[in-house]
Amino acid sequence: MALRTEPIVVNMGPQHPATHGVFRMRVTLDGEVITDLEPVMGYLHRGVEKLAEARTYTQFIPLTDRMDYLSSMSNNLAYVLAVEKLAGVEAPPRAQYLRVIMAEMMRISNHLMAVGTFLDDMGAFHTPLLYMFREREKLLDLFEMVCGQRLTYNYMRIGGLSHDIPPEFLPALKKFVRDMPGFVDEYDQLIRENEIVLARTRGVGVLPRALAINASASGPVLRGSGVKWDLRKTDPYLVYDKLEFDVPTGAVGDIYDRYRVRIEEMRQSVRILEQAIERLPPGEVRSDVPHLVHPPRGEVYGHIEAPKGELGFYLVSDTGIAPYRCHIRPPSLINLTALRDMVLGMKIADAIITLGSIDIVLGEVDR
Amino acid sequence: MGLAISFWLLAAAAVGSALAVVLLRNVFRAALLLISCFFAIAGLFVTLGADFLAMVQVLVYVGAIAVLLLLAIMLTREAATGSPFSRWRIGGAIASVALLAAMIAVFRATPWKVADQSVVLKPTTAELGARLLTPESGFVLPFEIASVLLLAAVLGAIVLVKEK
Amino acid sequence: MDWLRWIIFVVIILAFALSFVMAFILLERRIVGKFQLRPGPNRVGPMGMLQPVADAVKILLKEDITPAKGDRWVHRLAPIVAFAPALLVFAVVPFQGKGPGLGFSLDQPAALADLNVGVLYIVAVSSISVIGMIMAGWASNNKYSLLGAMRAIAQMVSYEVPLVLSIVGIVIASGSLSLNSIVEAQSIPFILLQPLGFLIYFLGATAEINRAPFDLLEAESEIVASYHTEYSGMRFAMFFLGEYAYALGVSAIVSVLFLGGYKFPFGLLPQSFIWFLAKIFLVFFLMLWVRSTLPRVRIDQMMAFAWKFLLPLSLVNLLLVAAEGVSTIGFGWAAVGINVILAIAFVVIWANRFYRVKGVTVG
Repeated sequence: MALRTEPIVVNMGPQHPATHGVFRMRVTLDGEVITDLEPVMGYLHRGVEKLAEARTYTQFIPLTDRMDYLSSMSNNLAYVLAVEKLAGVEAPPRAQYLRVIMAEMMRISNHLMAVGTFLDDMGAFHTPLLYMFREREKLLDLFEMVCGQRLTYNYMRIGGLSHDIPPEFLPALKKFVRDMPGFVDEYDQLIRENEIVLARTRGVGVLPRALAINASASGPVLRGSGVKWDLRKTDPYLVYDKLEFDVPTGAVGDIYDRYRVRIEEMRQSVRILEQAIERLPPGEVRSDVPHLVHPPRGEVYGHIEAPKGELGFYLVSDTGIAPYRCHIRPPSLINLTALRDMVLGMKIADAIITLGSIDIVLGEVDR
Repeated sequence: MGLAISFWLLAAAAVGSALAVVLLRNVFRAALLLISCFFAIAGLFVTLGADFLAMVQVLVYVGAIAVLLLLAIMLTREAATGSPFSRWRIGGAIASVALLAAMIAVFRATPWKVADQSVVLKPTTAELGARLLTPESGFVLPFEIASVLLLAAVLGAIVLVKEK
Repeated sequence: MDWLRWIIFVVIILAFALSFVMAFILLERRIVGKFQLRPGPNRVGPMGMLQPVADAVKILLKEDITPAKGDRWVHRLAPIVAFAPALLVFAVVPFQGKGPGLGFSLDQPAALADLNVGVLYIVAVSSISVIGMIMAGWASNNKYSLLGAMRAIAQMVSYEVPLVLSIVGIVIASGSLSLNSIVEAQSIPFILLQPLGFLIYFLGATAEINRAPFDLLEAESEIVASYHTEYSGMRFAMFFLGEYAYALGVSAIVSVLFLGGYKFPFGLLPQSFIWFLAKIFLVFFLMLWVRSTLPRVRIDQMMAFAWKFLLPLSLVNLLLVAAEGVSTIGFGWAAVGINVILAIAFVVIWANRFYRVKGVTVG
């Protein structure tokens, strides 16, 4: 008995509570089952790459803050590392350690937000999110101490940092590092064995290993699929080769694995912070680089392991004060391309939490 | 007096909404009026002292049957523009008028027993339960047969919708 | 003077329902705030007590919008149909029983109508509200609304079955369909006598009134605001108030059916409506607790939970209660012991049998 049925096409977004900004998914539904999904991006396009060509190398740093606004420090870092590579300068050791500290703090803050909003998408009614905000708040206080800002930091400079940390920063950070593992355990204990979380996330939104590699996914999405790939290990920058930490990986590549990878990464970040605080050398935080950098002619691709994955800056110099061309490889965008393959045949509710588990920020996807 | 007034009001509401159900082109609204018809009938049961029946009327017809009907209508295309069978309306009218005539004829021919006015209305639920389920009343077997029939219907529905 | 009595009770019930709904809204926001490490609304009036008033004034001033391509009359009627049953439920709820109570004594039960089919009335009336949701979903001409309405139907129809079966256990134990007689029959509160029934009723009712973790209808991360996506102003407020009125209704019914209504536990103190109100708050707090703790289940999991978990358990519960009724055990303390142990055993066994996904650690 074949009934003639008709699929429904639902436009989720651009104004939708679950798309983390202005993002649209054209979902074709057969009842509640997704038969097709087409991501529509670009609602937040601001032409950041083009703007770079009209600004000096230093002037572009604040704009990188506004890409992935949940991990501004990492954006700063990726950009200044690329410029330093282009100009052939290096930051002094103290700046290098401080950069590692900032990047890892940013990673914890970002993962707190990612896990919190992901559970929110699952309908946990803000409770986990607000628990995680408690710790994120402390991190934001620390960032505010360092640079006076809580969201867009603009702290990194070409050849170092804008200024040294204040004296009260290190004690506060030490306290945070001491307390944080307990809090991570608390979250994990509340969520890891929750029957509903398991039922919702195990075997849902699976990104197989091969597909993850083919889609050039990176970050927790890639590691959740069982690929041990972390630029801090495979292509070490700053002082990461001197620090000890593990790269957690998942087994199946489902939503649960991605969540677990993020929780484990927070633990590893705390480990890195501990070591970095211990070894933080005294000295300058900025090498002698002029405000107007004139890098030699050439092109360079600098990349770091940002909280969301590989964040790369491709810069071309024509010896001028501004880049001739700037291209950004945002991790969210590349990871987002795998969304359709993850959710086909799933329920509509699965699509939402799969999107949440990728951890996108539209400011970065659209740039 | 009050009972009589509410009886006639409810009767008028039932007939009115029943007419609207067949005359409206918008199938969804027709279904909603069918629900109001069910309610009016439940009200009639109340005025007649059949409390249990009234509740079951609401529970079964409104809560279950009408809801499933609405679900089916929502899944249908062009529910708002009308039923495709309206070309049969003359035949339908003739058939229903004939049925109505037959019913009126039977109604008039039946010698109705009018109850004594002094009868006190009692709750019917316990009485109904006793009648259905005690061996003396002789309704146990029909009751169980009905249960088996329902079970068969449930199983049949599962078999029908189960994917191969 | 039946008419006078009815008018007085209608006024009392309206005042009770509306003031409690307001209190619930505030309480929910304050208590959930405490659960979430934040203060909750505390600016308007002392301890934020006037917040619901401020919300109501705000929402009254909003424009009432009807979608241009929607079904105008159905759209307008829907909130009323959805809201009315919530108030109708209170018609049969007894606030205080006959005889001496705390402070004063009554010559008949304090209820608008102590119907002898009270339980059936409640089940019948609460099944009406879904029609309001369907009307809203259909008339809004919006796909989210339509999806929400379909979810509503699936949810309501499924959860009604275990819900009613769990009430049947109560009816067997008390031997009456009248809510007042059910309260009177509870010398031992039925939550002790039928813990399994309480669990099933509570879960089923939570699903029926769309509260977390079964709040798929309001899954704002999935289908925005579901069937009331296209509503604004006072009509939206009616849906919103309706939700809380249903929460109030379910709290009241749970108190009556399982917690002994207006009786103080084990008759240690005289009966009073105060105990009843306290129990309502207790049940509501339980709902809040669940809501602020658990994430939402998926639609197929929710259906499976109703049909594969709750339904078998409710049949087992019914069989158990009926067996105790006809055997010599009866409904005394012996039955309490047996039932509590069996309830724990059944839930544990059946939960393990039903659904268990092992978490795999990442390392």
